[in-house]
This record gives sequence, C-alpha cells and structure tokens, in this order.
Amino acid sequence: MKRAVRSAATIVLVALVAACSQIDRSRAAGNPDVSAVTMAQQVCSTCHGVTGNSVSPAFPKLAGQQRPYLVAQLAEFKSHNRSTLTGAQYMWGFSRLSPDQVQGLADYFSGQTPTFEPAGNPSLEAEGRVIFTQGISDRNVTMCSACHGVRGEGSAAAPRLAGQHADYVAKQLVIFQRTDQRPLGIAMKQVTHELSDHQIQALAVFLQSFSPTR
Amino acid sequence: MDLKAQMPGLRSLEVLALLIALSPIAADAVPSFARQTGQSCVACHAGGQFPELTPYGRMFKLTGYTQGERKNPLSAMLVTSLTKTRNNTDATGASVSPKDGQAIFDFASVFVAGKVTDNVGVFAQYTYVAHDHQDDAGKWIGHFGADNTDIRFADHLIREDRDLVYGVTLNNNPSVQDPWNSSPAWAYPYVSSSISPVARAPFQTMLEGGLAQQVSGLGAYAYWKKSIYAELSSYQSANGILSFLRQGNHAGSADHPRIFVKGHNPYWRLAYTGEKGAHNWMLGALGLTAEVFPNDSEAQPEFGSGSTKFRDVGVDAQYQYILEPHTVSAQARFIKERISDPQNLVLADSTSATLRTFRSKVSYVYQSKYGASLSFFNVNGSGDSLAFAGGVTNSPGTRGWTPEVFWTPWQHLRVGMQYTAFTRYLGAKSNFDGTGRNARDNNTAYLYAWLAY
Repeated sequence: MKRAVRSAATIVLVALVAACSQIDRSRAAGNPDVSAVTMAQQVCSTCHGVTGNSVSPAFPKLAGQQRPYLVAQLAEFKSHNRSTLTGAQYMWGFSRLSPDQVQGLADYFSGQTPTFEPAGNPSLEAEGRVIFTQGISDRNVTMCSACHGVRGEGSAAAPRLAGQHADYVAKQLVIFQRTDQRPLGIAMKQVTHELSDHQIQALAVFLQSFSPTR
Repeated sequence: MDLKAQMPGLRSLEVLALLIALSPIAADAVPSFARQTGQSCVACHAGGQFPELTPYGRMFKLTGYTQGERKNPLSAMLVTSLTKTRNNTDATGASVSPKDGQAIFDFASVFVAGKVTDNVGVFAQYTYVAHDHQDDAGKWIGHFGADNTDIRFADHLIREDRDLVYGVTLNNNPSVQDPWNSSPAWAYPYVSSSISPVARAPFQTMLEGGLAQQVSGLGAYAYWKKSIYAELSSYQSANGILSFLRQGNHAGSADHPRIFVKGHNPYWRLAYTGEKGAHNWMLGALGLTAEVFPNDSEAQPEFGSGSTKFRDVGVDAQYQYILEPHTVSAQARFIKERISDPQNLVLADSTSATLRTFRSKVSYVYQSKYGASLSFFNVNGSGDSLAFAGGVTNSPGTRGWTPEVFWTPWQHLRVGMQYTAFTRYLGAKSNFDGTGRNARDNNTAYLYAWLAY
C-alpha cells in the first residue's frame, strides 16, 4: 500500500511538473511568443551576463553596445554569414529568432550599462591609446576613434569598443585582418592590414581598460 | 567467527565491487542536446572533452536540459577499444584479462535526451555491453540495461538583482545529477577498460557507483547567484513504476543482481562557485548515507538479517580555464566512508571499517582537439578479510597514475590512449596476492575510439 502511494505520488508529481510551462521564463530559442527580455535573461545571460557584462572573455560584452550593430550581427549569425569559429559554435543555433526578438534583444543589451575592468598593463595600454586616437600614419592605419568615437562608444556605423574584453578584441582584429569570416566588417580588413600582433594586443588591452569616466 | 555464515554478505560486497569495476564508465556526450540548442559540443563540454562540462553546460543541465527547441531526442554512442595488461598471465597460467590485446566492440549506448517542456527535460541512457560476462562454456554474453538517468524540472528566476535556479531531479545514481566533474558519477576516467578486471582500483565507496542503476532518487536543488549550490535528495530501491531506472538488474541474477537499500537514504551536496575572466572554480562537499540489505548466495535479497550502513562524506574541487585555443581543467575528490556492520554481513574482522578514496585529474586541451591528462588515485582504509578480500593483506589499498592523450578530429569522435600504472594494489607493491603478482603487473594500456552521434 505504502509503495502504491509512493508510486502514485511520483506519477502526480511528474505529471504536474510536465504540465508546467512558463512562457515568461522559457529558455526556448525558436518560439516567437517568447519575449526578447525573457530570452536575454534566460538564454543569452548564460554567456553574456544578465546585464550584458560577460565575465568570461570568451564571450563579448553586449552592455551598451550600439543597437544597429547588435541587430546587424544577430542577422549575420542567423544567416550564418558571420562564420568565425566561436560564432558558429555558439550563435548559429539562434537562426529562428523573429524580427521582433532581434529588435528586442538589441534594445535590451544596448540599454544596459557597460562595466570596465582595467587590463593591468599601463605601458601596453598607452601604446594602444596612441593607435586608437592617432592611428599609425606610416603604416596606413587610421585612427580607430574616427569611426568608433573618441570615447570608444561607437556609432550607428561602428560598434562600441570601450570596455570590451581584450581577448575578444584581439581575436576579432586577427579575424578581420586574416579572414573573410566577418563580411560586414570588410572595411576593417584594410584598416587592420598593417597592424602587428603586438599592436593588436596593445589596442585590445587599451580598449578593455577604456572607460569614459577615466 | 564463522566465515561460512557470512558468505551472503561477502558475496554482496564482492558483487558490488565487481559491478563497480566492470560497469561501463559513465561516458556521455549527447548530440541530441547539441541539436536542441543548435550549438557545438564545445559549448557545453570543456575543450570538447565530453562529458566534462563548461559553465554553460552546467547551466544547461541545472536548468533542466530545457534550453533550445524540442528536436529528435535520440542519440547514440559507440566505444571500441583495445586493452593490454602488462602481465596478463596469473600464477596458474590463466589469462587475467581474457580479451587482452584484441580490438573489441566495447559498448554502445542509446540516449533519450532532450527538452520536454519549458521546465522539464530528460537525460536517459541505456547501454549495451558487448562483453559483459562469460557463460559456463566461455562464450561471451552481452548485457543491455539502464545507465545514467536524470529527469528534471527546473526554473530560473533571473533579472538584474536576482539569480536563482531551482529544480527537482529524479535519477538513478547518487551524484549523476551533479554538474561538476569532480563528483563521482561524471568524474575521470571518462572512459576506461570495461573488460579487464584489474584495470582500476577494486574497491570504491558506495557513493562512487555502488548504487548506480539500483535506486531511484528524488531531490531538490537550488543555485543562488552562480555562487552557492545546495541539494538534498533521497534514494530508495527502484521499485514499481520507477523500476525502469534499474532496468537490467534482477534479483537472483548472478551477474547483475539487484541491490536493495533500506528506506530512504539521504544524499546531500553543497558547493561554492566563482568565476573571474576565463577562470572558474568550485569548492564542494557531498555525502551519502545508505543502508544496504545483503544478498544471499542465490543473489536474492535478505531483508530479515539486518543491513549494513555506509556513511560517505567527501570534499571536492574543480578548476577550469576555458579560452580558445586553451582549455585547462583540474578536479580532485576525497571521500571517507565509514561502514557500520553490526551483524557482520559484509565485514568479518570487526563491526566497522573505513574506506578512503582520493582521485584527482588535470588536463589540457588545445583547440578542442589535442588533449592530455594526468590522473592520480589512492584508495586505502582499514583491512578486512571479507570486505576487502583479494590480497594477502586484506587491504583495499590501491594507488596509481593514469596519463592519457587524446585527439578529437571531429567533434563527435574521440580517440585516446591511456595507461594506468599501479604503484600499490590491494595493499602491497609486490606479491599482493601471495602468488608473486606485483602491483605493476596490473598496469593497463587502453586504446579507444569513442563515437557519439
């Protein structure tokens, strides 16, 4: 009898939890009824952080990112045009985002406040600052601030860079320089063409430490 | 003491040790999860080194395998291997490991793994072991049965100022629900020889697989701000509607007997976790208290002659650095088991005994393709002429190292070579069995190909 009661209780419990489905806390990635905020909090936050300030440099910070850039990149992942290794590994699966979800995700993350963590290498940071603000004229490297803003805040045409993880920035610069895996960033191919590995690292370290308040 | 009268208990613990020793090591990668999320295996598995989980993989598990879209939940896994024992001839001239030096089809699993609802997900594995045991004529007999199973309900309360994952798990192996790879069910070795009887330490604690696929466990857990994890579960004999959790084990079966536990047996787990940059870590503690009934010489349970209580308490830790192209990970676990056996069902020399196990592993994977790891294990405890029979000292003491190299040419295939070198076996470095066999004679090379699709 006791065993029967236990089994019945288990069945009821399983049935109850199976019946539960909370759309406002869903982790579905292809259901257009799931709001972008829910998706950002339940799914994207696992890697990018709930405020878009990812902890691991394996994942870019999205907080305060330019809205048009986020929309464009989500479209690139959806279409599989952005074919970087980690992009394909982590982002290609989000191919069924609805247009409203894409817009909503861009709203959510662009509205967050970015955080800054000094990279802790002042000399390299100083080298990067010079490249960012002045470019390298004898190597035909234009100043980054021309498009990305004097504070690295980005613009409608270029992403925010200030505060971004150094490792992520460095890897993207190498991708722009040596591959065609980010076709929307084709303009960066020429800009980065003459950058040495050391200069890429300097830029990356500077940008991670670049805070508008400093 | 009348040893003959204790034979049922002796058989029970011997069979338990044999089951642990010969069970296919929990070796799981689930492509149906990857189809569900649309992501690569490396999103969830550190350096592609399945089944070791990344922080993302841990959250996927803790949130009930519910991220993504419902897809075909079926996956399959196949392991072929070759085992080579350093000295494969015992004192009588017989083979120690009967398929030594031969490439064999080792085992295959089918998984039903995927999202059911937005809050409920399933991980259920069934495994066929091709060379399970030999019949009286020496013919190899295969065996199909339940493997690790974890059915969950989970919810995630998250916004800027709060972050709480909570859930309920129904599973069949204490610690199979755990997301860290320092806990027993998913710890290293992720795959190892299933055919050699001497390829690993003969005795493990109850928490290290002793109740796997024998029990049903219902538990609740919570993970707060990716910082504090707490879980409490209760394990019972898998009966009635839950008997699918121990499919393949039968009362009266000499090779796969059932193990019955008395009432509700608690399992608990606490962990403190953190992350900074590409580094993440966990410090934890876990425990299981289980009362186990003996089986008689016919492998039938004896409910009227008392039970043996196993109290396991352990501490464990994990560290990971994951940033392409590098993945570094390390795990360590120590478990102390106190065996209380007032009726001398499994012990002969005393009514209590202790068993201590330590296992650690460090690994490095480059580009999620080329990996190497080194593991150290040490088992010791109080000797007993029944519970830990096998060596002349009646000690469970076994110690050794396992270096391994592996290659993942394709995310669904891993090829590896590991070598387990024993510096101590059943209490001695040399002549551990009284017939002149040394610990190093059991050194085992294991070459494997592991396909999951």
